Parts: sequence; C-alpha cells; structure tokens
Amino acid sequence: MKQRMPRKFATTPGTRDVLPPESTRLFDVQARIRERFRLFGYGEVFTPALEYSEVIEEPKLRDASFKLFDPDNQMVMLRPEMTTPIARLVAQRLKNFPPPHKLSYVLPVYRRASVGRGQSAELYQAGVEVVGSPSPQEDAATIALLVDVLNALDLEAPGDFAVVLGHIAFYEAYLRHVAPEAATALLAALAAKDLVRVDVLAGGLPDEIATGVRGIPRLVGPATEGGVLEEAARLAAGAPEASMALENLREILRHLDAHGCLGTVILDLGLTGRHNYYTGAVFEAYAAGLGFTIANGGRYDNLLKRFGQDLPATGFAVYLERLLSVLPEEGASTLLVLVGGGLGGTKAATALRKRGVPTLHLPEDLEPHAAARYASAVDAGWVCYPTPEGVKLAASTPDARFEAVGIEDAAERVLGRAPQGVRR
Amino acid sequence: MSARSNLRVAVPKGTIFEDALRALEGAGLSVGVLREDGRKLFYESPGTEFIVGRPSDVPVYVEYGAADVGIAGKDVLEEQEPNVVELKDLGTGGCRMILAAPADKAAGVRQAIGHAEVVRVATKYPRTARRYFEGMGRQAEIIELRGSIELAPLVGLADCIVDLTATGTTLRENDLVVLDEISTSTARLIANRGAYRLRNREVAALVDAMEKSVSPLG
Repeated sequence: MKQRMPRKFATTPGTRDVLPPESTRLFDVQARIRERFRLFGYGEVFTPALEYSEVIEEPKLRDASFKLFDPDNQMVMLRPEMTTPIARLVAQRLKNFPPPHKLSYVLPVYRRASVGRGQSAELYQAGVEVVGSPSPQEDAATIALLVDVLNALDLEAPGDFAVVLGHIAFYEAYLRHVAPEAATALLAALAAKDLVRVDVLAGGLPDEIATGVRGIPRLVGPATEGGVLEEAARLAAGAPEASMALENLREILRHLDAHGCLGTVILDLGLTGRHNYYTGAVFEAYAAGLGFTIANGGRYDNLLKRFGQDLPATGFAVYLERLLSVLPEEGASTLLVLVGGGLGGTKAATALRKRGVPTLHLPEDLEPHAAARYASAVDAGWVCYPTPEGVKLAASTPDARFEAVGIEDAAERVLGRAPQGVRR
Repeated sequence: MSARSNLRVAVPKGTIFEDALRALEGAGLSVGVLREDGRKLFYESPGTEFIVGRPSDVPVYVEYGAADVGIAGKDVLEEQEPNVVELKDLGTGGCRMILAAPADKAAGVRQAIGHAEVVRVATKYPRTARRYFEGMGRQAEIIELRGSIELAPLVGLADCIVDLTATGTTLRENDLVVLDEISTSTARLIANRGAYRLRNREVAALVDAMEKSVSPLG
C-alpha cells in the first residue's frame, strides 16, 4: 500500500533547506563579506533571534513578524530586521564605551511571507551599523563599504550594479517650508511611490510651488553629473533647511568621490527609504536584471532615543539570497573525489590535503562511471584513483580522460584550474 | 536573469489594450507588431520588447522586474499594492469602483450598513472592499469571486457587490443600483523600482513623450 507523507514533514511556507552547492556559495559569500567588514574595522555581533515585541516599532515590520509568547507570557517576535536590535544592544550594553560604535552582523531575519509571491520567510542579511556619529563622512564610508563588498564579490559598477542615493530630509524640509499643510499627504504619496498622487496634490498649490513639489521627487541621474543637484538647488532656493540637507548630501558625495566610488552612485531625490526611522541620506543598491534591491540603508538619527540614548546612526543591510542570484559564475569546483585504494588511497588523500586540495576520499572502489556520477552529485570538479607513483586524475566531465600524474602535479592542476572563489 | 539591452513593456490585454497601445504609440514606440498577431504573448520590435498579459498580472511582471515598465489600471494597483513606481496617469480606461445592490433590496442594505450590521459582499477586489468597509467603521463578510459578480446578490450568495463599472450597463441589465462610489480609476504607467533608477533616461523619456501626446482627464 502506498504510504502517504504527512504534510507537516515539509518545511513551513517561505522556508527551505539549503544544500550544497548553494549553501557552499552562501558560506563563501558570507566569509568574503566578513573579511571586508573586518578590514574596515567593524566588530561582529549577534543578538537573540527573539526580541520583545515592543523593541520593534515600525508598523510594517511588526505586521510582518512572527510572534509568540515567552515563559513570562510576554509577546516576543522573531527579529524581522537587525537595525533595531543593534540599536537596543548599543543603548544597553555600550553605554560606557566611547562612540562611534562600528558593529557588523551576518544573520537571518524572519518575515511572514505571502504564499504565491516568491518571498522567503527566512532571509540572510549581512550589514553594518555606525552608531554615535552624525558625520556625513560616515554616511559616505558606509556606502563605500557596500560598494567595496559588491566589488569583492566581482560585481562592477555601472554594468552590474548601482547605488541609488537620496536624502529624505531635503524634500521634507522643502515641503514644510513651502506647503506645510500638504506636506504630510505628499510625503505619504511619495513613500507609496505614487508620483501620480504627488502630481495631483501639487495641482492644488500655487504654480511656482507646484513646480518644485512635482519636480524634486522626479530628479534622478548619475552623481558624476551635476545636473540633479543644480536643479534641486534651483527648485528649493529660499528654503533654508532644505539647503542644509542638500549641503549634507554634497558633503557625502565629496567623500564618496574621495573613496573613488562616485561613479557607482545614481542620485534620486524621490527615494525615501523603506522605514519610517530614516532621517537623512538613504540608499538602495540595485543589480542589473534584478527587480529588487540587493541592499538598503540610510541614516536614522532618532531610533536610539527610544532606547534611552540620543545617538545618531547610519548603516545598511545586504540581502544575501538576492545577492547570490546575481553573482557571476565562477570556474569548476576544486573538490577532488579520491576513489578507493585502501591504505595507498589514504596516504594519497593525506598528501593532497597537505597541499591544500579539498579531498573527499571514498573507501569503495567505484567504477569510473559511478565515480563520475558521485562526483557530480557532490559538485566535485575532479576524480582520481591512487597509483603507486601518485594518482590517475581526470576532470569530472563526461568523457574526460584519466592521466597519471604525481601528487604535486595533481595539486597544481586542481587548484590552478579553479582559483578559490564563489561558485555557482 | 541577465540585464536586457531593450526596454521591456508589459501591456494589459482586454478592454484597456487599445488605449495602452495608443499611449505607447503616441510616445513613439513601434507597437505595430502587437496588432499583427493577437495570439503571441511576447513581441520584439526595434528598441522595445513587449509582454502581453492579464491586466491583474501586469503589476506582478513589473514588480519582479520581468518587465521594466507597464500599464495597469489604478483599481488593480489599489487592490494588489505592488511595490512599483507609479509614474503617469494616462487618463484612459476610466471606470468607477462601486458598491451596488439589487434595486428591491437597496434600502435594506443601506440600512444594514448604517446600523453596523454585518453585510455579505461579493467582489473580485477583496482588499479594496475590506478597506472600504473598515474605513467607514462598518463590518462586512467578503466573498471573493473571479467573475460574474452581478450574479451573487441575485441568487442570494451576497447582499451587495463591490465591483468595477465603466458604463453601468451590466449593473442596469441585472437590476442593480449603485449605493456608493468607492473610487475612480484610470490607466497608469508604472515602473519597476530598479529599472526606474538604472534606466531612468529611457523611462523618463517615455513619460515625457506620453506627457506630450496624451491629456489626462485630471
């Protein structure tokens, strides 16, 4: 009789098991990112997956989070993001340490996914937060770090990706100055990315104001060309706080130029960032051919107040699964499957590993055909059989020919053909 | 998915297909290929690629970046709330989202809603209907149907309907009267968030060209 698999032996909607080679790639990318974060002086932290529900204030994130109750019958949430938990951590644990605090993380976050929308409920993020500095230099430095991370993963701007940079204080200050009554509705329309609604609302304002209200959110262009900033300055002339925000943006761009990554930046003065806690420069990274952001971030100077510390801050998070989907393919795997050979096989495996070759040693004496099948199942690039002088080596491709080579030679071929890297 | 060299446009089939084509044609895109063979789903013309899909699928193609820009009714956007940039009101395809009930039961339904009783509503737009009733502080039991919404109150499946109407003909034919207008809707040009920024020159040029060729109803 056919046995029926209970439905609850699957994983819950939006979650999945991750197997090699995908998991290997994910770990490789994480390692590469950690290396870059350390190079820029960040200290890695991790926080509990569970937070008190009160910690997260953003309505969208609260709605999207998984909730449960702790032993004291308090509502807790699986963290839907990392910025707020790190703000809490800084306020509670680092009170007596001198700012700025430069912290990084590589952790999963959890959000309820809608069925049929291709969304994950468990998302891997890697990110940094700089807490305790209001300097535009830090805004630029975090963006430069993001660009450095993407470059380290072989993505090059402008062909592969771009960082879109906006400044929410600019448009907001301009609106509060020229049209204070309409400001709230206009900002809500812009947050919903509804430029048609912005146009309609602007229609109710005097002509000279309507031009700026309509025009500013549609200003988009490369940061290397001065057009966007000039036009913004012209439209917002006479609104002093808007001019301050614009000067802040200019200062960030000067530092980005010094970092050598101005060419990766597209300015968009209609970009508001996805969270309410942003207060200044906001940015999103897009990869060519992917409709979603691969990273986003920005300045949030008021979030720490909630936790009793008045510290300005900025940071970003990279979505690792989305990032993986756009990384260029790399060469074949350096994993070598060494088949059988008894004691001789063990000696050969030890000799290969000593030379840095990842070696999977099978005790069974498989036929070449079965060995190739096994190698492809474990995503190995090479197969070999031990010989008294060394090994018989072949790439794990169909109809590859075995060649007798010494151990030294084998190591060189395996490692030489595929340099260490992220594989697809 | 790899980067495309040509801009890809999602066009809705059905009643707003012709209006959408005219708007794109007015903006200088060569849409002739779409008129030649009505059965294809994917067309290529110099400089542009076209996807033809159900009106309610257009925002999905655009949100996920399978198309860079698209044309979708405001009614669909309000129902789905996709994460896309809304760029331009084309002013065409005008229609109204309405609450309607059979003429002989209209007074009763109006009274039930007035007294905050739970009414049964049949609709293709469950989120829009829910928002409407919650916005009034009223309660509704919402039944989602895929078509022939007008039938539901006639056979006792629902007390009233929330539906889209352009001319009101179908409502009259089924002896339904409009109790309230929830919103009005026209066709919109929408863009993927990434494409809007990475290909802003092309997208902004398309918006400008449409600006010059169509006059929105306002």
